[in-house]
Amino acid sequence: MKIKAQVSMVLNLDKCLGCHTCSITCKNTWTNREGAEYMYFNNVETRPGVGYPRNWEDQEKWKGGWTLDNSGKLALSTGSKTNRLMKLFFHPEQPELKDYFEPWTYDYETLIHGGRKNNQPVARPRSLVTKQKMEVTWGPNWDDDLAGGQHARSDVNLTKMGQDIVFDYEEVFMRYLPRLCNHCLNPACVAACPSGAIYKRDEDGVVLVSQDVCRGWRHCVPSCPYKKIFYNWETNKAEKCVFCYPRLENGLPQICAETCVGRMRYVGVVFYDMDKVEAMAATKNEQDIYENTLDLILDPHDPEVIKAARAEGISEAWIKAAQKSPVYKLVKEWGVALPLHPEYRTLPMVWYVPPLSPILQRVTSDVYLPDAHEMRVPVQYLANLFTAGNTEILARTLQRVLDMREYMRRRETGDGPIEHKVDLTEDQMYGMYKLLALSKYNDRFVIPSDVKVSREGRLEMQHNRGFACPTGGCQ
Amino acid sequence: MNLFLWGALPYIAFTFLIVGTLVRFFYFERNWTTKSSEFLEKKQLRIANPLFHFGLLCVIGGHVVGVLIPKTWTAAIGINDHLYHEGALYMGAVAGIIFIVGFLLLMKRRFTVPAMKVNTSGLDKWLYLFLTLAIFSGMAGTLLNASGFFDYRVSIGPWFRSLLSFMPDPSLMEGVPFMFKFHMLAWMVVAIIFPFSRLVHCLSVPLNYLTRPFIVYRKRDEK
Repeated sequence: MKIKAQVSMVLNLDKCLGCHTCSITCKNTWTNREGAEYMYFNNVETRPGVGYPRNWEDQEKWKGGWTLDNSGKLALSTGSKTNRLMKLFFHPEQPELKDYFEPWTYDYETLIHGGRKNNQPVARPRSLVTKQKMEVTWGPNWDDDLAGGQHARSDVNLTKMGQDIVFDYEEVFMRYLPRLCNHCLNPACVAACPSGAIYKRDEDGVVLVSQDVCRGWRHCVPSCPYKKIFYNWETNKAEKCVFCYPRLENGLPQICAETCVGRMRYVGVVFYDMDKVEAMAATKNEQDIYENTLDLILDPHDPEVIKAARAEGISEAWIKAAQKSPVYKLVKEWGVALPLHPEYRTLPMVWYVPPLSPILQRVTSDVYLPDAHEMRVPVQYLANLFTAGNTEILARTLQRVLDMREYMRRRETGDGPIEHKVDLTEDQMYGMYKLLALSKYNDRFVIPSDVKVSREGRLEMQHNRGFACPTGGCQ
Repeated sequence: MNLFLWGALPYIAFTFLIVGTLVRFFYFERNWTTKSSEFLEKKQLRIANPLFHFGLLCVIGGHVVGVLIPKTWTAAIGINDHLYHEGALYMGAVAGIIFIVGFLLLMKRRFTVPAMKVNTSGLDKWLYLFLTLAIFSGMAGTLLNASGFFDYRVSIGPWFRSLLSFMPDPSLMEGVPFMFKFHMLAWMVVAIIFPFSRLVHCLSVPLNYLTRPFIVYRKRDEK
């Protein structure tokens, strides 16, 4: 057993209101510079929909993530190492700018300095890449809040459902899906990087791109199945979500989590067994990957685990944080948080509590809470997102959250205990209520800060944030 | 003048090439990159870029054989002058044509696709100018010398090797046809530009990728 610590995040989709505050604060912090205009380290997608970049889930096209080869071993979907070195000169699966959107601004100057004219002055759109006038035909969240029509129809998770999907008025559904880098345990981007520039940080599992070592071979971009590595057209290097590591090092949550208006993001530490990662990612049946990933995550109260953690040099502060971790509770103890697309075999460490939704009108009943299968968002659709299509696990997960609600209602009304069989104890359900419903700051974020990093010289990096090197000579 | 061109300038070029590259690597690694533009334009790159790089590898191979390997060695394994020249001419012409076609397609792409402007710096333009001169003078020299009247293996080859052994012999360059001399000057300028340009990416061929484990872990810099 070789224990590693991982900073991990849970997003409670039940409470996401699609306000994009996370995207905006993230953008203002990290990607409002030349070459990065089109990047959203964090974005919020309307589902069903195509997402960002367009149809990123269509792995037939992008070949992201891992597959099993004939002998059952893990292999990158983009091809073997030698195979991919042949693609250095041209990578057929690399997305282009237009797969995201061409960033633009407006000629605001003409409004002020346009001179005297017969017509109202107009601020025309101008590309932030070519600086030429352009026609805006696609942009970030172009299909925001639509969840219907052609964009929704080409959602891979819907087409996978097979049956004819009818967007009847009484059957349409819509949910938000905030996405960021998953800081996977088995990251395909790291494996695909020819230069070895991308690495998983030993101390906290944050996946980072060394801006010095990156050579711009850009193999990480197609290999990440979540399309969360971006190519900077100005510096010609790869960039990605850094999990706000400077904040983490100071015991603060990521800016997206900190500013989340719905208070639906949870950040904490989990311990996992590094020796088993490869075997679990190579699980034969893709529907079993989720439960095998849970086996990787170790109980931080187990004396054996604590001993092994100390042997690895993990500090007491981290062990304590792991024991109080909201992520551990949601993911492992209560089992209400699921990974996004576990079938990509990267073992993502950003988790989602699947959303409840209102009861379907056509189900005529007078129950207070519907069954998971009677809800508006089809269980199969959510299962395609979070459990590689396994509706049983998904329904079970939703049921636990429903049970918690029913428990809390009965607690208030004095109706006695829940009549059907429940998976969790009353204490656990009350704990879940406190974490999911009350969601206090100190319960949501349990981040140890015991780093001995000198902050000298950090201030001068404030302008370029360690990415760009405008004057050269950065080391 | 001859002494400067064939005895000093090559060393100036080598110094830029080596020292400049080392300085760039150790002090300016953050901007060491392939400067790939596939993100901005993909369709034309599909054919042009592999063609160019494949042609380039062939041409480099040809130069290694023609310039670095002494005539006596090839003669020792039974390749006479005629055979050598025929082989070098035909293989060189094929490689050169692949290389030049790839290069021209890339240049067409670079200077006609609007989005490519953002990927083309002023230095890039100088680089392309001197690359063009080097490539076309090399090709022209080979074709003009199709009859084989001029043997670069008794002039340019030994001269280049005399540079490498730090006993430069500029007299070997006397009587070399103009096109070949021009080719020499062109590569020296390219060598001087090399460390400042995107060309450095040729030193980053990621061969150790083949042997390293998939997942990389790294400790935090405690700086």
